[in-house]
Amino acid sequence: MNSFVDHTVNGLIVGNIYALLAVGLALIFGVSNLINFAHGSVYTVGAFIGWYAITRAQSPLWLTIVLVVAGSALLGMAIERIGLRPLAGKARIAPLLATIGISFVLDQVVQLIAGPDPRALPSPLPDWRVQLGGGTIGALDLLIAGIGLASATALYGFLRFTRLGWAVRATAQDRDAAQQMGVNIHAVNQSVFAIASALGGLSGLLVGMYYNNISPAMSFQATLKGVVAVVIGGVGNVPGAIAGSLLLGLTESYGVALFGTPYRNLFAFLLLVAILVWRPNGLFGGSKKLPPEPLTGTFIAPSRPLQLPKWAWAALIGALFVLPLVVNAPYLVQTLTNAWLYALLALSLTLVAGTVGQISLGHAGLLAIGAYTSALLALDAHVPVSFAIVLAGLITAVLGTLLVYPAFRLRGHYVSIATLSIGEIVALVILNWESLTHGPIGVTGIPPVQFSNRLIDAGPGFYCLALAAMLALALLQSRLLGTHLGRSLRAVRDDDVAARAHGLSANRYKALAFGFGGFAVGIAGALTAHLYSYINHETFTSQISILALTIVILGGMGNVAGAVIGAVALIGLPELFRITAEYRMLIYGAALLLLVRFRPQGLLGTH
Amino acid sequence: MFRFRSTAVTRRAMHSWLLAAVFASVFTSAPDAGAAPAAGEPLYFGVSGPLTGQNAQYGAQWKAGFDLALEDINANGGINGRPLAYLFEDSQSDPRQAVAIAQKFVADPRILIELGDFSSTASMAASPIYQRAGLVQLGFTNSHPDYTKGGDFIWSPSISQADSQPLLAELAVKRVGLKRIAVLHLNTDWGRTSRDVFVKAAQERGAQVVASEGYQPDEKDFRSTLVRVRDAKPDGLVLISYYADGALIASQIRSTGIRLPVVAVGSVYSPKFIELGGAAVNGIATNTTFFPDEPRPEVQNFVKRFRAKYNREPDAFNAYAYDAVQIAAQALRSANTASDRKAVRDALAKIKDVPSVIFGKASFDTASRRVNGVRSVDLVVKDGKWAVWEKSVGVSTAAAN
Repeated sequence: MNSFVDHTVNGLIVGNIYALLAVGLALIFGVSNLINFAHGSVYTVGAFIGWYAITRAQSPLWLTIVLVVAGSALLGMAIERIGLRPLAGKARIAPLLATIGISFVLDQVVQLIAGPDPRALPSPLPDWRVQLGGGTIGALDLLIAGIGLASATALYGFLRFTRLGWAVRATAQDRDAAQQMGVNIHAVNQSVFAIASALGGLSGLLVGMYYNNISPAMSFQATLKGVVAVVIGGVGNVPGAIAGSLLLGLTESYGVALFGTPYRNLFAFLLLVAILVWRPNGLFGGSKKLPPEPLTGTFIAPSRPLQLPKWAWAALIGALFVLPLVVNAPYLVQTLTNAWLYALLALSLTLVAGTVGQISLGHAGLLAIGAYTSALLALDAHVPVSFAIVLAGLITAVLGTLLVYPAFRLRGHYVSIATLSIGEIVALVILNWESLTHGPIGVTGIPPVQFSNRLIDAGPGFYCLALAAMLALALLQSRLLGTHLGRSLRAVRDDDVAARAHGLSANRYKALAFGFGGFAVGIAGALTAHLYSYINHETFTSQISILALTIVILGGMGNVAGAVIGAVALIGLPELFRITAEYRMLIYGAALLLLVRFRPQGLLGTH
Repeated sequence: MFRFRSTAVTRRAMHSWLLAAVFASVFTSAPDAGAAPAAGEPLYFGVSGPLTGQNAQYGAQWKAGFDLALEDINANGGINGRPLAYLFEDSQSDPRQAVAIAQKFVADPRILIELGDFSSTASMAASPIYQRAGLVQLGFTNSHPDYTKGGDFIWSPSISQADSQPLLAELAVKRVGLKRIAVLHLNTDWGRTSRDVFVKAAQERGAQVVASEGYQPDEKDFRSTLVRVRDAKPDGLVLISYYADGALIASQIRSTGIRLPVVAVGSVYSPKFIELGGAAVNGIATNTTFFPDEPRPEVQNFVKRFRAKYNREPDAFNAYAYDAVQIAAQALRSANTASDRKAVRDALAKIKDVPSVIFGKASFDTASRRVNGVRSVDLVVKDGKWAVWEKSVGVSTAAAN
């Protein structure tokens, strides 16, 4: 019983910390309808501003807070100006990609200035503690709770009682109508980003002091937990975000209490998926229906796809096949091999995200299923490798479709968040299901691909295999998209209601798309496993899901050739930028931003 | 395939050939950091490791260790008169980039031996490429039990957990006197392997392991884990952690009301452990292979020059990197070649008693391709400083306020 109290207190303490992050995210989500992937980076920047203020300038706590709030608010305004405003009226997916680019740039700038080492951020607060249950809580716990509550109250008052607050709410409800009523929506967006980022920076400072530990690598995890908390509470709902955060903290704590530490995040993500399925508006989002179809028209802007004549394709493909025979550059061949494997992944995503409109952020999970299936079949069940790869494709298609099935009734960003969680769940199940997956030790000694005694290892042979697999599926996919099936899939994307009115069963078409896509990802994962010879639960991280989506958006949503070209660009660019060493990811992020800015419909356009 | 097409096609094809050629030339050029000039063309080792991303801090620590080792080597005649230099490629510890880097190094005739990668996820994905091409991969932080099974070109001077964990068990059970141990370990291949060896060694010494909790590397909050540990009623905690997460656990121990002795694995040894843990790490004992106050000349020489060059305290990862370069240099000297990679592999098996900060004298066991035997010092954090552990100091709880 004593422990129950302790676990409850611990859950609330952690939830308290998530709440600070969630409030800012909820605000931006509510007004701009955008998952701000740069929020975690603002949080990191806030923590480092605080570090410089406290340790270098010896500033007192109140001044530090003022500096952090001001600095982060300015940063937020800059993000809105650079990442959001120029993209107004463009595909709504573009700002999402822009925030990813901004977060790369910010994290890298922090690392270049402050160095990659974690730093101590000592709290200047008095070190007194209150006994509570078996444990204690300190001054900082109370300060964090106080600031969380105070900012939520202030926000509530601001949104309810001030003119700018009304404008913010009006913009959130209907951007165009608000603009027609004379609301300066740019000013509104900028204010929202300033407020949300100020909160984000402040939470970075407080959390940094709380753990006495800040590092440039802390932003992704912060974004992830913040997003989960927001969705649990109901997007765009500030009090809901706080409640959602506390609930997330409690779930994690009880999960650890019941099953042990390795299960912590598993419960967080299961809770999220459950809530999305049963109450898609979040626990505190009211019972109104899902927000009016955010996908229609605006989410993916249709554009004219760029066309290449047939002979050009044939020449290009021919050139690619003979490339490793004429150029003796194993590094180039390997980089292109990686690009083909990622193109397979992108083909699948461009089908489900671009053609059917289900923006999946969990494709790394499917990749992992394919890799583990083929590796374990070949290693533990002694299935011949070439057969295991095909089986892996089929099993990934079935398992992937089943896993994502609960998300079929969701729309827009909710699909992304649900699939993100499903991806995380797959990784955590792999980590914990030791008897099957070998747990944290990973799978070693995975045999290379073999065709009738001919070893196809890294190098030209494997390159041609990956290229052939990718081209076969790409051709099949573009053929399918030209048929009645392709039109049906696009109809589901463009107008769910109209499609259903014409007798199309949206769920079946979504399942078809995930099935076909799952097969491609499964093959990609399986080939990767046999190429690497070693995989573990960290081989396929959620960063890969984000990379895959970036590839798809860059190439042009739903565009088969675009997926391939996007993969070559995004796998090739970081390699090209190698000469710039530590500046590599900074340049990559900046390049991404420029591409989104000047070609938001993707290199080859949306199909 | 092209023969039957029109001239336009050939032009298009030519165009993509040209592109490919340009691409290839950009990809295969790009020399990087070098060393102080000595006589003649330098000999190179390649490094695949994280300079950006989640593990960037370890890549930065490696660099500090490498540069110091190169200064030493090149000031003292280099490799048989020629300077030693390295090419560091950023892999972000990502297997996809590690395999591309492996192909790059393999194709670069200047590279005689490769060091890294940091995580086994990345290193072991690249191993088949190094093995097939016959270029030694010296994974000096890869303690995964299967790492060197990748082939006869895959070597590791990382500390063998089979050697070092029993020493930790000796400290925890025999000297600190723990009988009911709770283990908190990183849930990675390293943490898991270490835990398994430690648990066995502790049980052989008559202690019981009453709780074992694996946590993720990006975990920040350990309160719930610690309550679970407390409920198992241990008489002491053992941390199988790196310094950053070890410090986080230590500072949360007292807020859960646990007042028990804490013993941590040697990887927490770092000035950062004390910086990040503050007062909470006082009293934590460890058994480390690297301690700067150790009087051995290899250690004193390393520490003195590290402080002079970087104006800060070295830590274990600096020392691993320094040692790895010394071992590689010794192998290159012994192989006495500027192109024969197989000779370098053969030399690794022959070199004996290379002066080493970590091992004292390092020699490879030719069967396992690892360095056996490990010496260690028992340390304790005392008044915010690392000090040699003595029975009289005792291991007090982290909650000593």
